[in-house]
Amino acid sequence: MSLTVDERWDLIDSIAKKTITYGRYKETLKDVIGELTVKPMTGIPIAITTMYAFWSIFGSFAGTLFTDGFFVKLFDEHWLPWMQAHFPGAGGWLYYIIVGDPAADNCFEAFGMLTSGIFVAIGVVLPAIFIFYLMLTLLEDVGYLPRLAVLVDTVLHKIGLHGYAIVPTILALGCNVPGVTATRILETRKERFVMMTLLAIFVPCGAQLGIMEEVVPESMGLIILYLIIGYFITGLVLNKIIPGISPEILMDVPPYQKPLLSNVILKVWVRMKSFFKTAIPFVLLGCVIVNVLYLAGFIQWLGSTFSPVFVTWFGVPEATAGPLVAAFLRKDLAVAQLSVIEMSAYQMVTAVVLVSIYFPCLATFMMLLKEGWKELLGSLAVLISVVFLYGGLLHLIGILAGVA
Amino acid sequence: MKLGSIYFALLGTVTLAFGLADLIVTMATDSFSWGILEIPGDMFRGGWGGLVVLFAGLFYLSGARSISDIRQLSKVAMGSILICTLAGCDVFARVTESIPGGEEGWFNTLEGFLGVYAPPYPPVIFLLPFSLVVIYYIRKAK
Amino acid sequence: MRVLLMGHPNVGKSVVFNRLTGVDVIASNYPGTTVEYAQGSTRVEGEDVTVIDVPGTFSLEPKDSAEKVAVEMLEQERGAVVISVIDSSKVERGLYLTLELIERGYPVILALNMWDIAKDKMIDIDVKKLSRIMGIPVVSTIAISGDGIRKLASLIKEAKPIKVDEIVERVGS
Repeated sequence: MSLTVDERWDLIDSIAKKTITYGRYKETLKDVIGELTVKPMTGIPIAITTMYAFWSIFGSFAGTLFTDGFFVKLFDEHWLPWMQAHFPGAGGWLYYIIVGDPAADNCFEAFGMLTSGIFVAIGVVLPAIFIFYLMLTLLEDVGYLPRLAVLVDTVLHKIGLHGYAIVPTILALGCNVPGVTATRILETRKERFVMMTLLAIFVPCGAQLGIMEEVVPESMGLIILYLIIGYFITGLVLNKIIPGISPEILMDVPPYQKPLLSNVILKVWVRMKSFFKTAIPFVLLGCVIVNVLYLAGFIQWLGSTFSPVFVTWFGVPEATAGPLVAAFLRKDLAVAQLSVIEMSAYQMVTAVVLVSIYFPCLATFMMLLKEGWKELLGSLAVLISVVFLYGGLLHLIGILAGVA
Repeated sequence: MKLGSIYFALLGTVTLAFGLADLIVTMATDSFSWGILEIPGDMFRGGWGGLVVLFAGLFYLSGARSISDIRQLSKVAMGSILICTLAGCDVFARVTESIPGGEEGWFNTLEGFLGVYAPPYPPVIFLLPFSLVVIYYIRKAK
Repeated sequence: MRVLLMGHPNVGKSVVFNRLTGVDVIASNYPGTTVEYAQGSTRVEGEDVTVIDVPGTFSLEPKDSAEKVAVEMLEQERGAVVISVIDSSKVERGLYLTLELIERGYPVILALNMWDIAKDKMIDIDVKKLSRIMGIPVVSTIAISGDGIRKLASLIKEAKPIKVDEIVERVGS
């Protein structure tokens, strides 16, 4: 026998009456503070503080302590000269691929697989990813993230997503791949499509954030601002033009609790493991492919062929073609490569934004494909239009502000 | 509890003033030093960090009246949490600065290490001990 | 023997799963972390039991694609025992899904998880009486500290399908 919905609730009511007694519940400080973090008036200042702390600790730990404190010295003063001196066949093609530029005095310029590749993967991205995941996990396990989701719900509704969407977005800040997977918690196809597209285009991953903090720290604010604005504008437009609904959902907010150490360690480890498995091979492979393409003259050809697009439309040097190729494999690598191209500060901002929004990295691309090829094609169509419009717009802003 | 209200109203006023000072210094000049006090002036630490101090001050002021009420107390507690967070970030930043040796070698010398912790300090460090008084009131409320 | 862990999002299914099987599943303090299923195994009284962590679902009429996965999995596992994991501070809502499972003829065990939180909120549940009325094994658990998990495992074998009218009758009397 099967009950109707109402019969079921009636039955539950009478079961509950017989078995559950509710005592008088006194509000605790924890509850009231929980409320403070959700209400906009008090919640927004708290969210700003949290983000400030997140970024401050991220920069201190990954930038000051590990990368600048130890790895730059290790790689530039010891590893690179040693490789340059000892790797056979200076000037040959193999040397070019593995070690890179024999005259380079730092690991960003050399761009060999075992010089820049290792430096980017281990020296810059590894500490960044580690501290990012550690803090993310703590915020999750303490119970702050779901509250943040409730807080941003109103804003996200404007772009056709509910507060849940903050979860994929935040996960994507670590790596876009789990971000795309997490879009499955969204209810309708429309919401999932909008979210996936926004993630693939506008959300930089932890690896990329780490390297940006290292090579263009002074422009970080502007770059992030451009990405956030793009995220919302594109979201608004997509919400308007794509048919379908984005329904309201009731979200449960779990209580604040002390994070369980074993769970934190496990989670950080699982997330790091996937970094080791996918990121490091891709960075190394990326170096090789880009170097081979340089040797074959392909990138030079690409740069000069699309020169009008780069120089006239986007306002960035031709040489940006190389990083854009690398960006398809790994965005962190692309930013590292950009950092040694000679250009003005504003061109650098435009170029970094372009690298971020232009094509998702290979791993994310595969993930999108797994979610459905129709969605993927749609995302790509949006992506191409966005890259052209937004890239041109940034150039225009630069011209108007007199900095381009 | 009367005393607590006065205390946090005062602390809130001072905190608010420091927050405003942070923001003004950031907008006007580079940074501002006075004895062992240094008001930071860069966009991130001075601007956003200053905003956090300002928020903390507002939390204190809005919660200071009748802090025996748990809803009021929670705002005061939140003010202290913001102060502790910001101060924690500053201390952590100094820790990460103090360990590597820079030009000298892999690790810092003891002298260099301790030198990083020397004054001047930003306002939030001075506010930190005063913000911890809230612990007494939280215990009392329980 | 196969066991499915089912329940609303964010009631601690993944933590129960980790405790039962020792397999690493990411458990998060917000809803919707498990969007794909995870599988692990454990031994109960010398017999191997396969445990499957199903994505959270509010009811058996699916609304999003993670819920769809959950319902499809349930339909494939016709002979499985279902552990219905519910949040002890929101028993009524959890019981809805539990009743749906019972009606579909699955042997169900009820795990009243997050017992500590219910206690903090001064909610008192008569576990024995609930078990008697429902006619299924009921156990209180605190998955993050491991309380009650052993008992939960030992009860897996005692679950059997029941008729929902029997519950209606027992409530009436």
